[in-house]
Amino acid sequence: MYLNRFVNGEGKYVDDIKFDNMLYMSIVRSPYAHAKIKKVKGGLNSSELKAYYAGMDHAMREPVLAIDEVSYVGQCVAAVFSENRYESEDLLNSVEVDYEPLDAVSSIDDALKKPAIHDGMKDNILDTEDVGNKFNEKDIDYDIKVSDTLFMDRISANPIETRGIIADYKDNVLHIYASSQSIHRLKGGIMKTLNLKDDEIVVHHVDTGGAFGLKALIFPEYIIAAYASMKYKKPVKWIETRSEHLQAAHAGRGIKADITLYARKDGKINGLDGTVYLDTGAYFTDDDLVDLGNAMHEVTGPYFIENAHLTGKYVLTNKALNGYYRGAGKPEASRIMERMIDLLADKLKMDIADIRIKNATEKPFKSPLGFDINYPTKPLLEAALKHFDYYNLSKKEKLGISLFILDEDTAPGESCRITVKDGKVKVYFGGDVSGQGHELFVQEMLSEEFNIDKDLISLDYDDTDTLKDGTGTWGSRSAITHGSVLMKTAEIIKNDVIKKFGKYDKDLLLDNEFNEYYYYKIDYNANSVNFNMVSCDVNDMNSIKIYTYYDLGKILNLKNVLGSIHGGGLQALGETLSETLRYDEDGQLITNNIADAGLLTADKIPQYNIKIVENNSEFPDKAKGIGESTMIGIPSALARSIELQTGKRVTKFPIDDLSLFNKCME
Amino acid sequence: MMVNINVNGREYKKDIEPRMLLVSFLRDELNLTGTHIGCDTSNCGACTVLMDGKSVKSCTVLAAQANNHEITTIESSDPKLDVIKQSFVEENGLQCGFCTPGMIMQTFYILENSEDADEEYIKKNLRGNLCRCTGYKSIIDSVKKAEEKVKGEINVSK
Repeated sequence: MYLNRFVNGEGKYVDDIKFDNMLYMSIVRSPYAHAKIKKVKGGLNSSELKAYYAGMDHAMREPVLAIDEVSYVGQCVAAVFSENRYESEDLLNSVEVDYEPLDAVSSIDDALKKPAIHDGMKDNILDTEDVGNKFNEKDIDYDIKVSDTLFMDRISANPIETRGIIADYKDNVLHIYASSQSIHRLKGGIMKTLNLKDDEIVVHHVDTGGAFGLKALIFPEYIIAAYASMKYKKPVKWIETRSEHLQAAHAGRGIKADITLYARKDGKINGLDGTVYLDTGAYFTDDDLVDLGNAMHEVTGPYFIENAHLTGKYVLTNKALNGYYRGAGKPEASRIMERMIDLLADKLKMDIADIRIKNATEKPFKSPLGFDINYPTKPLLEAALKHFDYYNLSKKEKLGISLFILDEDTAPGESCRITVKDGKVKVYFGGDVSGQGHELFVQEMLSEEFNIDKDLISLDYDDTDTLKDGTGTWGSRSAITHGSVLMKTAEIIKNDVIKKFGKYDKDLLLDNEFNEYYYYKIDYNANSVNFNMVSCDVNDMNSIKIYTYYDLGKILNLKNVLGSIHGGGLQALGETLSETLRYDEDGQLITNNIADAGLLTADKIPQYNIKIVENNSEFPDKAKGIGESTMIGIPSALARSIELQTGKRVTKFPIDDLSLFNKCME
Repeated sequence: MMVNINVNGREYKKDIEPRMLLVSFLRDELNLTGTHIGCDTSNCGACTVLMDGKSVKSCTVLAAQANNHEITTIESSDPKLDVIKQSFVEENGLQCGFCTPGMIMQTFYILENSEDADEEYIKKNLRGNLCRCTGYKSIIDSVKKAEEKVKGEINVSK
């Protein structure tokens, strides 16, 4: 069982793997946010490896090693290698780089005012996108208009295991071992960048020490290690230091929004428009489209708003690239809406629950921004308010609430292989687990389905040969995608037993050998309705109370569910109160260790009041998603609880007010 | 330089560079990869081990400083450590497992050095160990469970 492996220190993470003659790679990184490179001498640099990475083609992709110019602190300039880890770091000093510093842009606001950071561009807007129906305010029915600017600063994913890779080129095949949420996506990215054929690369999954969206991505360091292994014909290992992580790992959030709501005086919202900006960082990556896409399409969330239009702007800054962080645009979208609806309630002197009831939808609908709402949201809101006795409790506690849709990234489905041999059942998922504890629900579901002991079932490491296709773990999808493909593949195995022996029993299964692969296709993204409420006393960190009313469909494993709520709950508090990456006006990162990045410690955990409802989904395992819900629902509700006490409206995250909670956030 | 370090009850004599960190000695020289590196700045506690029974962060201790000292790591077969490990399994006190060895070694230290560790004491003494997955709740429950079991065994043996 995986838990035993980990408590005994027997996990197999990428840095635990050693090969003979292995080289350690260290990276010479830019100390400047923006500079011309006048000279690079030594190491592997772009005079030899000139390549651009990203899953998609785009004119502004990042070179894997800087070419003539650096555009953020931490950008890869050269790589050095040694058989000794310490010596490879010593070799960093052997590379000579001459820089000529240039003016830098360190924020969205800065970027909108200053000249373009890249030659050939007229300004720092990389791309612009419009969603929704553009409306004229004369044409809609409204009495009041409220506008505000919201800002959610960048957050580093900071899994406790940093990024890492081993590239091992042998017998004309590049073997990659990586800490990853999706080895198939990683394979595609490396193939595209290094122009490899499908049969020239195999990616192997290893234990992954947390990921939170980040490890779904492809990075320049991975390409450099792969290239170096092919060049030196030796295994090459790169393990990121925490300083490198803070500087260079693609960072999440970084969203600013100027929003206006148009409402009648009874609270009914009839229009929403504005502009949403993404801090893209210095170059394009594919994840920009997902982050800003979610942050725009999902803004109207659970509410029936018939007129909505947003302009999205991808803004270049002299910072590390944008990346996924738990929620990837979904928490931002919800926070924009929930903060605005609270503002509207205050202007109209309405209760924050009443105004939500007024706008929640009674039927499924497609929002003007293109977000499909599959379920009515009003019934769940009313049930949640009743369950927590909101109207009475709000007289005693300072309550913030949040109603939201969890958009589950179920498309395009997932793959699974189940093998039975020597009395053991092994499961392989094409979407790689990154430490969320999938083995718990795999054992629970299969032991029931096959009528066998949990101990006989394990979730094993896969590679891109074992499973030719696969997706990943992200977007709150696993409960649906992995659970459903597991059920489907198990059914096929059971049918194999029946076909062969005329009936099913567990001994016929375990005494024989079976091996089946299945890809369960889902061609749309499912979604679900959820609710959070938060109260606190701003003088006491331990007073924070999180009320959770989530519709999870069928619960696959309660430990998985609670782990997700408690873990995500604390991340949500961190995101609201303290977590960020701070840059000075020259684009220098001034957050210099993991504590500085604002991660919360064990003495800061909140209290929970958890209610789970189980309205089955339409999928084979009847489950609904959970992974990102806490990140979506908790921050705006906590912000509301805080502003009710301080009298200062919260529009910026993290709130970062050191006077809160008896200065324990200092 | 030559060092003689006792790790989990066994003596290791090795010729090492004076600058080698204890965590590198454990992981690279002895192949004891259960001790992890998470931050290099002694903030995260993934590398926590015991030196002469005291918890230290092995990413900021030189192997040379451990010369002639006793180191206990997650690979130790100490029976009390086994009780703690089992409690973490039962309470699901982990998800990705990366911070787990450090958490368990710090728990070992807490239980060895406190007669009656209440929840506040446990939380305070876990502040130097970061977990990004669990939100600590199940970890604190694991420590409490381990404490109950350890106390129970002491009472039985009395």
